[in-house]
Amino acid sequence: MGLLWQGIHRLASLRLTLVLLLLLALGVWLALRSELRTTWTLVVPLALVAINLAASLLVSPVFRRHPGLLVFHLALLTILLLVTAGRLTYLNGHVDVATGQAFEGRLTVQDGGSWHAGDLASVSFVNEGFIIDYSPGQRRDRTHNRVSWHDASGERHTMVIGDNTPLVREGYRFYTTHNKGFAPIFIWEPADGSRPQRGSVHLPSYPLNDYRQAAEWTPPGAEQALWVMLEIEEEVLPADQVAHFRAPEAHHLLLRFDNNRQILRPGDGVEMAEGYLTYMGLTTWMGYRVYYDWTIHWLFAAAALGVAGLGWHYWAKYNRRPWRPRYVESEALRHRGAQTDANVPAGDDTRASLPSRQG
Amino acid sequence: MELWEVVLLWGAVLGYVLGGATAITGVVLKRLPERSVLALLALGLALHTASLAVRWVRLGNGPYLTMFEILSSNIWSFMLVFLIVYWRYPVVRPASAIVMPVIFTMMGWMKLSDNHPGHLPSQYDTTWLFIHIGFAKLFSGMLLVAVGLAGIILLRHLQPARERFARLPVSDSLAELAYRFMAVALIFHSLMLVAGAIWAQDAWGRYWGWDPLETWSFITWLLLAFALHLRVTLKPSPQTSAVLVVGVFVLAFLTFFGVPFVSVSPHKGMM
Ligand code: HEM
Repeated sequence: MGLLWQGIHRLASLRLTLVLLLLLALGVWLALRSELRTTWTLVVPLALVAINLAASLLVSPVFRRHPGLLVFHLALLTILLLVTAGRLTYLNGHVDVATGQAFEGRLTVQDGGSWHAGDLASVSFVNEGFIIDYSPGQRRDRTHNRVSWHDASGERHTMVIGDNTPLVREGYRFYTTHNKGFAPIFIWEPADGSRPQRGSVHLPSYPLNDYRQAAEWTPPGAEQALWVMLEIEEEVLPADQVAHFRAPEAHHLLLRFDNNRQILRPGDGVEMAEGYLTYMGLTTWMGYRVYYDWTIHWLFAAAALGVAGLGWHYWAKYNRRPWRPRYVESEALRHRGAQTDANVPAGDDTRASLPSRQG
Repeated sequence: MELWEVVLLWGAVLGYVLGGATAITGVVLKRLPERSVLALLALGLALHTASLAVRWVRLGNGPYLTMFEILSSNIWSFMLVFLIVYWRYPVVRPASAIVMPVIFTMMGWMKLSDNHPGHLPSQYDTTWLFIHIGFAKLFSGMLLVAVGLAGIILLRHLQPARERFARLPVSDSLAELAYRFMAVALIFHSLMLVAGAIWAQDAWGRYWGWDPLETWSFITWLLLAFALHLRVTLKPSPQTSAVLVVGVFVLAFLTFFGVPFVSVSPHKGMM
């Protein structure tokens, strides 16, 4: 036991804290320079800081005397633990949902902590459509995206979300992004007589890929792929005025499959080997960023408490010992004698009043 | 820029330059006309406030988008914090001879920057931005006062300057005061990070993303913690303490004004 205690005392060294703070700064700098954001250059110093801090919290008598300081350092340790937990359980992802379509719990791209255990599969919502304000110069401003969903009791809810205002469902936060575009909608009637199906093609992000509005697509259940290109016949986002993102009315599709080349306008159809394809019209799709981290509210609480503790500590510390300037008399002053403060006992170089004015 | 905005800004620059020049001359001649300096700097600040207000009303967004605006609003907040401290802590007044050259440098840079309006990205459309910026300004203001005091401690060791600051409190005492401002700076820096994280969560869907500005401000925070720890742990000399204050200030300054030059991260507002 004695040995253990001695060990903890060693680990609690404040000199070690100094070294570790510098090591951490160095690690952060190295992590910034490398492309991998969370490397061991960050994790190792952070782990050491956590050990040093935990040991210090256990054995340093300073913390008993200064509760504010204790609260602050406890908060720091809590934040470290929460961040670790967050990295192990977070989820980051993207998904594109066409207007009028539902998100059904599956993401297109995702990365996450190895212990992520959220219930994304149970999350669903419908993208009811969006408006994006554009300033002159095709600068994207606010996005207003209406979404709807049903809660557990079956009641329908709607909400307008945006880049800064997420839809939060089961801890998953859905944000709109700059990634959005047009989506032609088709009805596909298979030749074998099975049920007709609706499908949409998400063309590349607009206006980013203004000149590449094409994609390959395979109708639901079919084998043969076709190539779809959108040709816009009007100016969607005039560069010189305020505008709103919307699907263009004047447009047509260029379809290519096998050696066929076909122009389609809304309502037109085309016979293919495996079925009949009807172009219903153009809609939009929104690319959502999805983020899950259950720790964020706890992190905020810990950080707020920590700062309050720090404020408390310094408030108490400085009130206990208000700052009193100490002066030493220069040779010149001692010579003149007259300017020394008469109330101060001889030999004391501490003066109560401030000779603020020079000369 | 609108005529009024230019006239007011030039008036402000003139006030700051006259006030600063008077302060520096006063310290050199060992006769600091404290009230005149205060009056000139306060006049500069009033004109500067008016100039910023005219611009804000004209553009509909605050001074935080372009380098010109960021420099201008930081000069403004530096001056505001420094003048309040100047007024409340007479002992700090000679530090104006150290603080004002920093302001002059920023003013020169501001005058060279492009003063055209910037575009407000949708991510900037939040109250948290104001809170974040407010804390950042308080943080850097506190640090500026600390650096003024640290500058006195360091200059005292140079022969020509020793006499100029002879009648101020001993360096030990000045360092103690400087570290009180450093402590308050740490509180505001921490609040800035918290407010920034809340903003980032909403603006970019993550509370922390190691973008260069975030990374460097975190390193600044660590160095600030290091300085405060060193002071209680190793009880360094006033000179060493002062060097650390200057180090933290330089790092914070480079983070604020240097990183936007080398970064194209979202934090810069380039979307
Ligand atoms: C690495 C682990 C850390 C340990 C073991 C630790 C430990 C301590 C201890 C024991 C004290 C009291 C010193 C005294 O008054 O004698 C202290 C003070 C302090 N620590 Fe830490 N600390 C750690 C990390 C940090 C970090 C990351 C910060 C970040 C800002 C920080 C900020 C402070 C502050 C502001 C004080 C008060 C100094 C003063 O009173 O002026 N500490 N720390």
